[in-house]
Amino acid sequence: MPTHGEVDRRGLLKLAGGSLAALGLTAAGCGGGSGSGDGTVTIRYAWWGSDDRAKRINRTIELFEKKYPKIKVKTDFQPYLDFWKKFNTQASGGNPPDVFQNAIGFLRKYDQRNVLLDLHAQAKAGNLRLEGFRAGLEKFGEVDGKLLGVPVGSNSMALVIDKPVFEKAGVTPKMGWTWDDYHSAMEKIRKQGRSGDSGLYGVMYLYDPYLRQRGKAFFTEDGLGFDEADLKEWWTKGYAGVKSGIYSDPKKVAQIKPKSAVAAEIAACEFTWDNFTVRYTAEGKSEYGLAPLPTTDGKKTGQYLGSLMLSGSKRTQHPKEVAQFIDFMVHDPEVAKIMGYDRGVPTTTAQYEAYKPAEEKDKVIAAVNKEIAAYEEQLVDADVLEPITPHPAGADVCEAAFLRIAEELALGERSVDEAVKQFFTECKTALGS
Amino acid sequence: MASLQTPVAPATPEKPKPPRGTRLPEAARRRRRGENIAGFLFMSPWLAGFLVLTAGPMVASLYFAFTDYNLFDAPQWIGLDNFTEMFGDPRWRKSVEVTLWYVIVGTPLKLAAALGVALLLNQKRRGQAFYRAAFYAPSLIGASVSIAVVWKAIFSDDAIVDRTQRAIFGMDVGGWTGDPQWIIYSLIALTVWQFGAPMVIFLAGLKQVPRELYEAAEVDGAGTWRRFWNITLPMISPVLFFNVLLETIHSFQIFASAYIVGGGAGGNACGPADGSLVYTCYLYVQGFENSRMGLASAMAWMLLLAVALVTAVLFWSQKRWVHYEEGSR
Repeated sequence: MPTHGEVDRRGLLKLAGGSLAALGLTAAGCGGGSGSGDGTVTIRYAWWGSDDRAKRINRTIELFEKKYPKIKVKTDFQPYLDFWKKFNTQASGGNPPDVFQNAIGFLRKYDQRNVLLDLHAQAKAGNLRLEGFRAGLEKFGEVDGKLLGVPVGSNSMALVIDKPVFEKAGVTPKMGWTWDDYHSAMEKIRKQGRSGDSGLYGVMYLYDPYLRQRGKAFFTEDGLGFDEADLKEWWTKGYAGVKSGIYSDPKKVAQIKPKSAVAAEIAACEFTWDNFTVRYTAEGKSEYGLAPLPTTDGKKTGQYLGSLMLSGSKRTQHPKEVAQFIDFMVHDPEVAKIMGYDRGVPTTTAQYEAYKPAEEKDKVIAAVNKEIAAYEEQLVDADVLEPITPHPAGADVCEAAFLRIAEELALGERSVDEAVKQFFTECKTALGS
Repeated sequence: MASLQTPVAPATPEKPKPPRGTRLPEAARRRRRGENIAGFLFMSPWLAGFLVLTAGPMVASLYFAFTDYNLFDAPQWIGLDNFTEMFGDPRWRKSVEVTLWYVIVGTPLKLAAALGVALLLNQKRRGQAFYRAAFYAPSLIGASVSIAVVWKAIFSDDAIVDRTQRAIFGMDVGGWTGDPQWIIYSLIALTVWQFGAPMVIFLAGLKQVPRELYEAAEVDGAGTWRRFWNITLPMISPVLFFNVLLETIHSFQIFASAYIVGGGAGGNACGPADGSLVYTCYLYVQGFENSRMGLASAMAWMLLLAVALVTAVLFWSQKRWVHYEEGSR
């Protein structure tokens, strides 16, 4: 067999070439999703959340693929913080997902970095309907005239409470209660043997409405909307609360993370987003409800609707399909029935009406979701909601610094003055860059 | 040995080397070139890996260390600004402090544990093989994320360590991982627990110590402690040096356990009130959370310099305490 060697080598070359081509194809498949012969396109969809959310989202994608057989959706999910690290790395490498979950704190940041798709063009082309949103929510993702995200669910700040503990202490929070009322309520609960709050002094999304009640705000369009004296007052009160025990021991709160302090029964209440009640119910044994934010003047709560959004990538090769996907996710009634209030209350009227908490099979979830719906209706009726300011670029770093430094203060590692100074130094660096 | 031999003329005359400047026969040259090509070909996977995955990124990172780079916009040359910012940053200084404390306390404890257990395991007892495997096992699994998670659970509020401490010493710390002063000791405990790798090396060193030395010392009436101090320690000092070097470098690079035991959730990725803010943890925060890759690169180079300096000092010091057998140095 004189040609044996020759054939072998050639065969080897072919093999190598073949596998290289295969590698190339897979790489192309990963990068941005591409069209194949029959006109099918693949888009990548990334979001943060839990396993429970993953199950729901996969069901909505099945529905979508059935309705749009030419579009395939590949998903990817992480917990919140890991999501942004991965996203950052992918986006900077020019390979962000085509469509992804987003939030108000990131709009300006990623717009400045040329990552976000302006969806106005797609809306004009009829691939994305902006009608039928509740309470003007279609404007929510609009920054500097560009539509950078479409909200899928709305939520608002609230006080999540451990109902039996509050009842036992004889406290019933009502709309329009004041910070003094809140404070004496915490003291009554403390007398029952449980710390009141888990540590409001580090929650940026509570400090913001608190400032708004006084005509200020956490962020303006390009910087901070408050000064050192404001923060000093807030953290002095916060630290006093930790010392007196009406707020939980920060050491214990740190150790049960990521579980919430309320579910772990080391606090009786916690300021957070109203749709988180669902999570607390899953984590804890007690019964949880929602109370309104305390006010300064008995009326203004300074709160606004927050929301999860869907945004597209500027580098996507399939802007039309991305727009169709977002359109489906915010308008289709079936999607709302699957998602429930997992991402907040649905933003379009069609979805809002399609999902009735009472029809939920799980009785506890049904009760919690009814509570969330009632809370948001109460906010609309009381007419307390304000428009939100899209955060400046670097806001996410400020928020992390706020939480961290507040924790250091509570643990007694810094004095109030040092903490305030440190926060302003760090935050100004973040906003300046 | 060679120096003791008197030089003798080689029995067989060496092949005459071709005089300089003359060319090798064509066939030999071709063969040599062929060998070279084959050599490079066999090396190529490693070479490619080294150039693309190690050397390239290192050069890039050296360049980024002098720039402001957020991953999205083109890097801006800012000279030494990253370094001046670093030295002026209290969090950076805190991270240096935490890391040094971890190295200075953790490394000697770990080596002492390794040597102590190696001495015990060096004796003839039943089931030694089992004990060796049992003590070595933590080193194999210790770097994993799951162990860090378990560690966090063990040292948390009202968990086993906290309860034991309360019951025996009456101290109520409320869990080590939530306390900025205590969390670093839970990490030190974790590294000490993983003493298996240096232990195995110590064990090998102990086996090399000649028995006659002990017998002679015993005849002279030396006690256990004396024998350890005057025979064992000097005889294994090269092994000790090796372990000190390796473990010190290792300790400077601690990351995964600090990041996981320290939380990784909420606003603080590295422990309550930066209690476990080790150097690499802060580097990670600056690079991946604050998107400041230029600053993170500068920090990485600073760490490299520090480790190089410590290594140099250790090498310099070995003259004073490491004993090599005559001529084997």
